[in-house]
Amino acid sequence: MSTAPSFRAIFEDRTTRDTLLAAVPATLAVALGVIPLCLLLIESFRPLVTTTNYLDVTKGIYVAVITQSLFVGVLLTVVCLAIAYPVTYWLANRCPARYRLPVLALLTLPLWLNYVVLNYTWVWLLAPDGVLNVALEWAGVVSKPLALLGRPFELPGVGLTVPSLSLLAGFIHIYLPYLLLTMYVSMERLDYRLVEAARDLGAGDFRVFRDVIVPETAAGAVAGLLIVYARIAGAYATPRILGSESNPMVAELITTQFYDVLDYPFASALSMSFLAIVVVGFAVGARVDNVQSELKRW
Amino acid sequence: MTETGDDADRDDTILEARTLRKAFSDTIAVDDVSVSIKRGEFFSLVGPSGCGKTTTLRMLAGLTTPTDGTVHIDGVEITDRPARERDTHLVFQDLVLFPHMSVADNVGYGLARQGVPADERDHRVSALLETVNLDGQGDRRPTELSGGQRQRVALARGLAPEPSVLLLDEPLSSLDRKLRQEMQAELRRVQRDIGTTFLYVTHDQDAAMSMSDRVAVMANGRIIESGAPESLYDQPKTAFVADFLGDANILAGTVTAVTDEAVTVAVGTGRIRAEPGGRSPAVDTRVVVMVRPEAVELGGGPLSATVYASEFKGFYDRYTVALGNDETSMVTVRTDANERFTVGDSVKMSLTNATLVAPGDGTTTATESSEPTVASGVRAGDDADDHDRNDDCARSQLGERAARIRDE
Repeated sequence: MSTAPSFRAIFEDRTTRDTLLAAVPATLAVALGVIPLCLLLIESFRPLVTTTNYLDVTKGIYVAVITQSLFVGVLLTVVCLAIAYPVTYWLANRCPARYRLPVLALLTLPLWLNYVVLNYTWVWLLAPDGVLNVALEWAGVVSKPLALLGRPFELPGVGLTVPSLSLLAGFIHIYLPYLLLTMYVSMERLDYRLVEAARDLGAGDFRVFRDVIVPETAAGAVAGLLIVYARIAGAYATPRILGSESNPMVAELITTQFYDVLDYPFASALSMSFLAIVVVGFAVGARVDNVQSELKRW
Repeated sequence: MTETGDDADRDDTILEARTLRKAFSDTIAVDDVSVSIKRGEFFSLVGPSGCGKTTTLRMLAGLTTPTDGTVHIDGVEITDRPARERDTHLVFQDLVLFPHMSVADNVGYGLARQGVPADERDHRVSALLETVNLDGQGDRRPTELSGGQRQRVALARGLAPEPSVLLLDEPLSSLDRKLRQEMQAELRRVQRDIGTTFLYVTHDQDAAMSMSDRVAVMANGRIIESGAPESLYDQPKTAFVADFLGDANILAGTVTAVTDEAVTVAVGTGRIRAEPGGRSPAVDTRVVVMVRPEAVELGGGPLSATVYASEFKGFYDRYTVALGNDETSMVTVRTDANERFTVGDSVKMSLTNATLVAPGDGTTTATESSEPTVASGVRAGDDADDHDRNDDCARSQLGERAARIRDE
């Protein structure tokens, strides 16, 4: 009886109420995010305290895998941006207004599907007995199935590998919608009269793109890039399903160390190193004011 | 007429639009507009919002493709050339300066696209910034400037590549009244100094009349009348133009006598002597007479009137009087503040400089349908000129007024 009004009194104080309300998500964040991360950090220095695990990470083959993963991340992001620019420009400025939302919904439909399912659609399409090969053979274009899955292309001299067609397709399919969304928001806010003003003053298509569209939408593009590149670089399922075993990405490597080699300290060190690289990249990009305000939309 | 027009005349004409038409899916925004603008002229296209003036300007700039008609610059047809290949530049209503470029880069953008080398460009940009009183501001961003300064940058950006014609789409409409008047004087000065032909689009008839060499009044996608501001104001041919270019008393009456240089019209209980204004009405026909408020004098004259309302306007008083007692023939009058009349007074009144005008915008006669002609332009405007929708009500008032005149 006597506690009820005092509870109410406590809850009526704004600061206390805010603290109580914030406590639940804060606890969850700490329990599910910060504590595991700390445990991982401690694990990476085991047996306590040693830096051997981190020294191992700097070995050639591991550095190569991390570099390759970041390369795939950047490459795919650039490819996605190259697709997203014309598509969102068309959508925001040229597409009749009543079709805009339906088209945007269609383009971002992959976001609503499980990405493992999306990956397997590409297996189904590109496998030796997949839809594409069957069709090509039936039409007489090829006499034996093309190897479209897991055939990467090594760039001579730089030690980097362009992923296979299937892996590219899978990544684009999954991550392009994120960039389409961020870029569409920027494109929609682009004042089309700036484009007209530039044309009026004699600018051709390339100049309009360079002088107006890129500067006006750069913040959105960078925000999209930051969101997508780390997810691609750290992807696990897609390279597993659509990539090649000879060319693992960093997440596959970490998984192998955890589950097959059972070298937890080294796997932790690998994870922390990759996380550090990604965080540094993100921090550099997010320092720009405009990019920050774009990221807050997410 | 295209090939046989005499050379002197053609040399004088820098921009010529012939029978321009623009139809959108369900409306006609511009209908049969022909204008011919002389080299070095300050020409204004003025009309209520949504009359199609912005669409006309965009067709001249090459940003909107005309449905029909041609555009010639300096005798060369450019109808199908895109904006970037035209020797015209547009100063946009909201200026649209490039926000990520410095003032100097904005002004020099057109020059850079023409391939003018960097040092010559810098030289010309700084000279131009001086002309528009922005010397030393070249390194700043447009966002750091005041509204008036941004106007000057937009003007300089359009002028820098030395276009044959500078097209201006109500660039002053966002400024407050005082600054706008300053900028009008400034625009006129720059235009005289540089000698570039200006085509200025506005709904502000005062601005158009004070700055321009010639004015064309548009409504419903058509040019109703054009000419020097003074002659349009003093001798309009239509009630619409009379009303649009200032306060106008539009009175309907019946012709009682016709002589060579004057027509006598019975309005209410009085008789008004009016100039025929190029019209030759027969006795006993219905006509419309226009009298400017400043041409009406109270306190003496052959007409008798009753004061219905008075308004204090500072350096003058404005009265609304009825001819005789007839409430259908109200007249507004301006008098010096030292002559005072009281509501209800019967006064003597004289009218001078009355002129006959066509009712409405001159496209229908008084005997035709009473549907307002002006209002039919409303739909066109909503689709076409998306930035000047704001005074729909002014337009519908004009429409009502035009309709009322015909009904009487």
